[in-house]
Amino acid sequence: MSTIAETAPRGQTRRRMRVDGWRWGGRIFLVFMLLYTALPMIWMLLTSIKSGFAAMQFPPQWWPDEPTLASYQKLLDPQNSVGQDFLRFFWNSLFVSTATTILSVIVAVPAAYAFSRFRFPGRNFLFFAVLLRNMFPAVIFLVPLFILMRMLGLVNTHGSLILTYLTFGLPLAIWLLKGFYDNIPVQLEQAARIDGATRFQAFILIVMPLSTPGIIATAIYSFIGAWNEYIYAYTFLSKNEQLTLPVGIQRFFSENTTDFPGLMAASFMMSVPVVVLFLVLQRYFVRALTEGAVKH
Amino acid sequence: MTIVTGTAEARRRLQSARSGVLRRVWEHRADYAYVLPAIAVMLIVIAYPIYYTIELSFFKTPPGLQLRDKIYVGFDNYTNILTSPVFWKVTWNTMIWTLASTFISFVLGFGSALALHRDFIGRGVLRAILIIPWVISAVAASYIWKWIYHSDFGVIGAVLVGLGWADRPPNFIDNVTTVLPSLIVVNIWREFPFAMIMMMAGLQTVPEQLLSAAKVDGASAWQRFWHVTFPHLSSVSTVTILLLAVANFNSFIIPWIMTGGGPSNASHIWITHIYELAFGRQLWGVASAYSVLLFLILMTLGYFYVRALSGNERKEGSA
Repeated sequence: MSTIAETAPRGQTRRRMRVDGWRWGGRIFLVFMLLYTALPMIWMLLTSIKSGFAAMQFPPQWWPDEPTLASYQKLLDPQNSVGQDFLRFFWNSLFVSTATTILSVIVAVPAAYAFSRFRFPGRNFLFFAVLLRNMFPAVIFLVPLFILMRMLGLVNTHGSLILTYLTFGLPLAIWLLKGFYDNIPVQLEQAARIDGATRFQAFILIVMPLSTPGIIATAIYSFIGAWNEYIYAYTFLSKNEQLTLPVGIQRFFSENTTDFPGLMAASFMMSVPVVVLFLVLQRYFVRALTEGAVKH
Repeated sequence: MTIVTGTAEARRRLQSARSGVLRRVWEHRADYAYVLPAIAVMLIVIAYPIYYTIELSFFKTPPGLQLRDKIYVGFDNYTNILTSPVFWKVTWNTMIWTLASTFISFVLGFGSALALHRDFIGRGVLRAILIIPWVISAVAASYIWKWIYHSDFGVIGAVLVGLGWADRPPNFIDNVTTVLPSLIVVNIWREFPFAMIMMMAGLQTVPEQLLSAAKVDGASAWQRFWHVTFPHLSSVSTVTILLLAVANFNSFIIPWIMTGGGPSNASHIWITHIYELAFGRQLWGVASAYSVLLFLILMTLGYFYVRALSGNERKEGSA
């Protein structure tokens, strides 16, 4: 301690230089990360506004000579077969993701509340069971789930996907929400109960409104997870009209392997809903993810 | 009659005193109603598949045969797996994939979090841009990078040729030595934002007073980081690294879409290999045995995960 105090004056000047060094290092690092993150996305956008011929050139056109929205028009035009397929995949993804989101909020809210508030025996065990589930890869469950879905008559229906996504989204949803409930003071509910509310009323009238940010975050998370899911949709659905976007796009472009502008346009449009959702609500999203992990 | 009820009463009381757990379960019976929907859904979709996978791992299921005609073979599937060279190749790939992806994602994410911790103009925008790769679909990411790596018209190859570092565009994907690192770059692109978010939140919990106290005492920026900030972040770091490791170990989409495990298994990792065994070659028994082995590995990881988490809880309780 004393040695640090003695060298403090000398450290003063040295530190100023060092701080600058660190700050500049940080800036350079951030520029590097920005390039690493953004350049692939920019290249996707630039390719998507080229014609098929312009994309297949060497050296490439760094900036498209004749920018065209033809790929987007083709994908969004309900008159031709490509557009019909794409719009149908889009609608399927939207339906499955929305249904999953609503259901997982309904199921996760009471569970997370219980894990946060009650001290019932087995609480810890159940909670860790919920978390551990998150660790097992989809592949393990594919075969038995496929057979289970066949037993339930859900193969080739969106029901099979919704049920599966619900289960696989739940652990994280519960975890995220629990972080929020942990931060709502118990005293609020106690006051309500003294005033004559039942535990359930206190939950609905006091806790639910306060946990809206958490519910929004959980909903975004479920939506993005369902929207981007690939492996179950790839395995459970085989009929073309049922496919969701990731699988639909993959099917389509394994037949048209050279239409890179179209593929980039499709990738871009597949990303738009989730990126917009994320950018609008990122405050909740980031907070929820970290609340659970940091405070837990 | 009264005597009987008396003794029954006494016995019950004795029993309830002995089995306090059951009594507490009964007292809290209403609480379970809240978790019941979640548990019920998970039992159907999780417990049954686990049971079925274990059962199937002891059977041979020749392709083209119905699953109910499976043949019991004992531990044959397991011994076949452990003696096959492909298993060791795939395991080695998985180790490189998981360790490299996890470590580099964590370092880049932590670095970004530290650099973004101080306020500056455009910080919010920058943070949002850095998180986008994590939000978009892995399928989209795979296609974007497949196009960037394209052997004839890929942009990286063109840049390398333009700079005179290569005579002709290198083929990143169809090359046994470069395919795995190339895919790891894609995976890190998608994974580092997660580490960044977690560490950013962790950084907010480091007490500001402690840092300024260290500054007053003349600690350098590095010393402040190493002796104050870093110890504070140890539990967040542990959780982040474990979550990253599990996610990377379980990756499927990027290798599957970009290469399908090729060329000659150079980019097969466990999950893609299992998928191909089951759905490509219809070797359900072997694939199940693989899955059981995977379970065991993940349970070991899970043990550390739970320990890290409950360690946090204990620390928080004492604080």
